[in-house]
Amino acid sequence: MVQPMCLFFLISTLSCLRRVRDLCRVLQLPSTFEDTAVAYYQKAYQHPGIRAARVQKKEVLVGCCVLITCRQHNWPLTMGTICTLLYADLDMFSGTYMQIVKLLGLDVPSLCLADLVKTYCSSIRRKLAASKLECSQGARTACPSLADCSSPWALRHDPHFDYFSFKLFQASPSMPAKFMEDKEKMLSRTLQLVELADETWLVTGRHPLPVITAAAFLAWQSLQPSARLTCSLARFCKLANVDLPYPASSRLQELLAVLLRMAEQLAWLQVLKLDKRSVVKHISDLLQHRHTLIRKAFREGPSGVEAPAEELWGRGQGQEEVGNGSSDLPKGKRPASPALLLPPCMLKPPKRVCPTPPASTVTGDEDISDSEIEQYLRTPQEVRDFQRAQAAKRAATSSPNPP
Amino acid sequence: MDQNNSLPPYAQGLASPQGAMTPGIPIFSPMMPYGTGLTPQPIQNTNSLSILEEQQRQQQQQQQQQQQQQQQAAAVTTVTAAVQQSTSQQAPQGASGQTPQLFHSQTLTTTAPLPGTTPLYPSPMTPMTPITPATPASESSGIVPQLQNIVSTVNLGCKLDLKTIALRARNAEYNPKRFAAVIMRIREPRTTALIFSSGKMVCTGAKSEEQSRLAARKYARVVQKLGFPAKFLDFKIQNMVGSCDVKFPIRLEGLVLTHQQFSSYEPELFPGLIYRMIKPRIVLLIFVSGKVVLTGAKVRAEIYEAFENIYPILKGFRKTT
Repeated sequence: MVQPMCLFFLISTLSCLRRVRDLCRVLQLPSTFEDTAVAYYQKAYQHPGIRAARVQKKEVLVGCCVLITCRQHNWPLTMGTICTLLYADLDMFSGTYMQIVKLLGLDVPSLCLADLVKTYCSSIRRKLAASKLECSQGARTACPSLADCSSPWALRHDPHFDYFSFKLFQASPSMPAKFMEDKEKMLSRTLQLVELADETWLVTGRHPLPVITAAAFLAWQSLQPSARLTCSLARFCKLANVDLPYPASSRLQELLAVLLRMAEQLAWLQVLKLDKRSVVKHISDLLQHRHTLIRKAFREGPSGVEAPAEELWGRGQGQEEVGNGSSDLPKGKRPASPALLLPPCMLKPPKRVCPTPPASTVTGDEDISDSEIEQYLRTPQEVRDFQRAQAAKRAATSSPNPP
Repeated sequence: MDQNNSLPPYAQGLASPQGAMTPGIPIFSPMMPYGTGLTPQPIQNTNSLSILEEQQRQQQQQQQQQQQQQQQAAAVTTVTAAVQQSTSQQAPQGASGQTPQLFHSQTLTTTAPLPGTTPLYPSPMTPMTPITPATPASESSGIVPQLQNIVSTVNLGCKLDLKTIALRARNAEYNPKRFAAVIMRIREPRTTALIFSSGKMVCTGAKSEEQSRLAARKYARVVQKLGFPAKFLDFKIQNMVGSCDVKFPIRLEGLVLTHQQFSSYEPELFPGLIYRMIKPRIVLLIFVSGKVVLTGAKVRAEIYEAFENIYPILKGFRKTT
């Protein structure tokens, strides 16, 4: 006879395994992915800590197994996507993800930025619409989660929330012709801009999506600058039907500063009064020669301990031309000396200077004076006052509200 | 359509591509164990190793001296001290080069006995001065990690009434609905203690081992002054956190590729790379700015050794591509 608890665990496991398969189908992953993700889930479920975990954690674990499978097959899928599909909190997801990677002893490769760019610029809205239609017409066995919009596992079908699509590649009544763009051209240029951002330390240690959004925006603007320079980043994201990540504006400014710095090294651009708007028109030239321009425009940072910390941002503070600053160049000035090629966090001055603490002479066995200890003790009068205050507070909280 | 309010919109990410790529044969085994293997061996600087070995010999000598003194003290006092064993008896790392723990649980010293209580605490034994390398890694990196936080525990040896402590101490807060311990703070050394009703105490915030011990002793004195027969048993450093700056940027993507077995780098979750070193068993947080945080050490030498191990590796990733 099956014990009730065993039966409960069995039902719970089967339910979650079904959800793993559902999630793979929603994401339209190959069937081999499903088997791998299910295997991971089964293996994880053998651990008592996972078996006894709450339902929310088990549901998040479904997403973790799918994500790990996708990463191992170089299938770009962000944690944000999984969290959105599962209505999961990113903090819980990250904790479960780290736990399961350690528990199962898995090697999970990093997310490939180039693949993520391709995904960002691709549109699968038509396919999503088709699968929704298919389900609504009765093919519910294919994708049960899609069919049941009321269940927590349903993919959100609201077209206003169709963040998988990138509408700039499709003609529509709401999309002016001047804003439409060829997908391959945009993809190629976005990739180059993301590579540029990576080479100039704008990607490492940061969430990838804001960088990609900023790069996509610049790529799109530069392909038809005359018509698109007036379009802001926020409007671009709205037109493209993608979310505007909060840091994307900062990434955009940083990328523009890098491009401006590179433009100073091009002979035919030195005479122009370039600023952050006009430099967009010359992005194609800058990208064409970017490796050389980066070498000319930037110099390596200080080599380790030989240079004191002050050199890093002391110079950056004092000289206008140093660093990836956002200020415009003075008119008619000669090209500036190469700026330091460092991550932005190293170029900004520290918010507060932490002086090195003096060498401690504490031995741990010093005498402890009574007076020092007594300063931490309440006097009898203070004790009585504190007790009176506590009693008053209890009386206030326990008394009913007056009508 | 309602979105997941707990998730920032941009973090919602993207769908998987459909036909955009055809994943080929998996290029690695998903069952590859994580964290196995030895500490990665970059270019070894024999000078730094010889320094560490010298430190270990000195520590062993100090331990022997302390053991002799403890035997003498035990015959006089009524309070016994737990003595840390020599390196051969330490289990956690078990490596041949294991640094013996320097700190032994000591008895509390008071200059004046509490009224109504017998003086229980003898004069201290040999001060627990950790061995600071005379020239810590000067031959290799020239950078000495600074200790930022020490977590230690001690057993006060008696049951405590937390309500009484919270009532009669100025520097205490106690909210049993939130946490079942009194949170007490002192100004010097600037630390925080968690005092549990079982008599166990956790002391955090000190910048050195000695400061942590002094702070723990002061908390025990406060509890004594409040009328409890507090002792000072089994003082032990549980964790040490250090930090330093290598002063050059680090390509975290490259580091995670070449040291996949030890590294975890998820920029969607955390900007730093988490490096789990096996020998010594230290966790390092490495940031693009070159700042490194080292944690998980029981003794200072582990922090130094871990940094000396990682520094040559980091130097390999400081050039731009």
